[in-house]
Amino acid sequence: MKPASAPTDIEKKFLLSHPEWFKLVRQPLFVAVTFLVLAAFAVFLLPEKQSASPAWLYTAVVIFILLLLAWSGNVLADRGKPEILKMGVSLLLIAVLCWLFYRYSGAEWERLREFFFNFEKLKGSWWYLRNGLGVTLFLALISAVGSVLIGLIVASLRSYNSRTLNLFLKAYVDIFRSIPMIVIMVVLFFALPYAGISLGSILTTIVALSLGYGAYASESFRAGIEAVHSGQIEAARSLGLSRVQTIRMIILPQAIPVVVPPLTGNLVAMLKDTAVASVVAAPELLKKARELYTSKTNPTSLVAAAMIYLIVLIPLVRIVNMLEKRLKKESK
Amino acid sequence: MSDASTSDTMIEVVDLHKHFKDLHVLRGINMVVKRSEVVAIMGPSGGGKSTFLRCLNRLEEPSSGHIYIEGVDVMAPYIDINKVRTEIGMVFQSFNLFPHLTAIDNIKLAPMHVRRINEKEAQERAMALLEKVGVADKADAYPEQLSGGQQQRVAIARALAMQPQIMFFDEPTSALDPEMIGEVLDVMRTMATEGMTMMVVSHEMGFIREAASRVLFLADGLIVEEGTPDQIFNDSQAKRTQDFLSKIL
Repeated sequence: MKPASAPTDIEKKFLLSHPEWFKLVRQPLFVAVTFLVLAAFAVFLLPEKQSASPAWLYTAVVIFILLLLAWSGNVLADRGKPEILKMGVSLLLIAVLCWLFYRYSGAEWERLREFFFNFEKLKGSWWYLRNGLGVTLFLALISAVGSVLIGLIVASLRSYNSRTLNLFLKAYVDIFRSIPMIVIMVVLFFALPYAGISLGSILTTIVALSLGYGAYASESFRAGIEAVHSGQIEAARSLGLSRVQTIRMIILPQAIPVVVPPLTGNLVAMLKDTAVASVVAAPELLKKARELYTSKTNPTSLVAAAMIYLIVLIPLVRIVNMLEKRLKKESK
Repeated sequence: MSDASTSDTMIEVVDLHKHFKDLHVLRGINMVVKRSEVVAIMGPSGGGKSTFLRCLNRLEEPSSGHIYIEGVDVMAPYIDINKVRTEIGMVFQSFNLFPHLTAIDNIKLAPMHVRRINEKEAQERAMALLEKVGVADKADAYPEQLSGGQQQRVAIARALAMQPQIMFFDEPTSALDPEMIGEVLDVMRTMATEGMTMMVVSHEMGFIREAASRVLFLADGLIVEEGTPDQIFNDSQAKRTQDFLSKIL
């Protein structure tokens, strides 16, 4: 890295101005030696949990963690070190922190496993959760269609800029964006029957999700529609296209690519929010998991439900991300 | 308004006013345009030129006054303004081509969905128009792949595809690089010689001198002066006009 010959005056102006000791710290030899020191610390100086006084124990652990962070920070912050080494150091850091937690936290690992990861108890009940997942996906799909339709219609109507109409549309959007989903569902499910309308749990969920997320979707669509240049609308109208034709053939084709990323993001959030339907006893995944929790007197089913949500949603989130990137590239 | 003596009148404007909130942009404009006339509108920016043009096909809603297109009062409540607009082609400063459609689809859209002619005929008509404006080889290109001059010529073809009786041009060359202005003006010149009725907001003196039958000088929301290009450029009577011309010449 050093210039071969003595630096010229110009070069001196641009030389890194680290102090001497700092240069030493970045040497591979120094890193290796300090690593050995840390390892020795871990093996010989860290006390057993039971054998040491609490004061000494805390001091030793805190000093060790600080040294560990300083050491890995020194490696990670060095632009000269290879990426593979940094990856190794990161993994090592995580592993050591986990090991410290395992060794000193005082958690009752056996009981934790027995309560929350007792998958033997779920034997023969997985179909129950699978049915729940089916209902969850069904609810999400129908509500997705419902909310997108509502969003599209509300946003299209708002683009007419009629003052009276906008007042009501804005009221709808604001009200449903400010009420928590759980409240919407409870009101629809428990209050509406007194008004003579009894929707049942499935329909309640679909109506609540469609209305709630329709409000969000309409905002996404509106942003997309407003992103279309006003000259586009003028050009369309000057050719004699009607308002509806202008929206359908000129505005929406340009707005939809803008709208897809936030919209799909909303739909993922909606899929998660189907879990709220368990309060109105819709037989979806979380509800089924809670039933198993009661019948087996063990919360492992909840952990299983969490894992199922993860398995379904992680790929979806990735797809949304990819869509976003693709559309960004296309619009360039 | 549509008796025999005035059948040559394409546009008649009577006491047209336009307010934007408390801004009085047009303060009573009266004007007549006859068939095959090319009327140039000049004037300082903010004088109401664009607003005036956009009021005539009600892209901007006039505050009061009357507008007759081919003798029909287009302000009347029983008039379908969309049908009136099909008779008036409009070309914008910023082209406003539809970016999600190719050049030829831009041209075919309105004939197919407003005039309801079939796709084959629309295609033929669109190709002929692209030929006419000299961008036939770019039929399948998207607007972003075209130069400004090409875009504006496609925009002219798109307006012509509706076979309008009248063409409005709102500063059609102001957004163009200098070397592309000529190609657009050439197309407009051809249209003028073919007898199209045109209203052109522009300061292209050469084009106006050569192609315009009349110049309106619009300032502060009023027609300050009107006359042939020669009268306006060489023998202007109004101080306001002289001031303006001395600045742009």
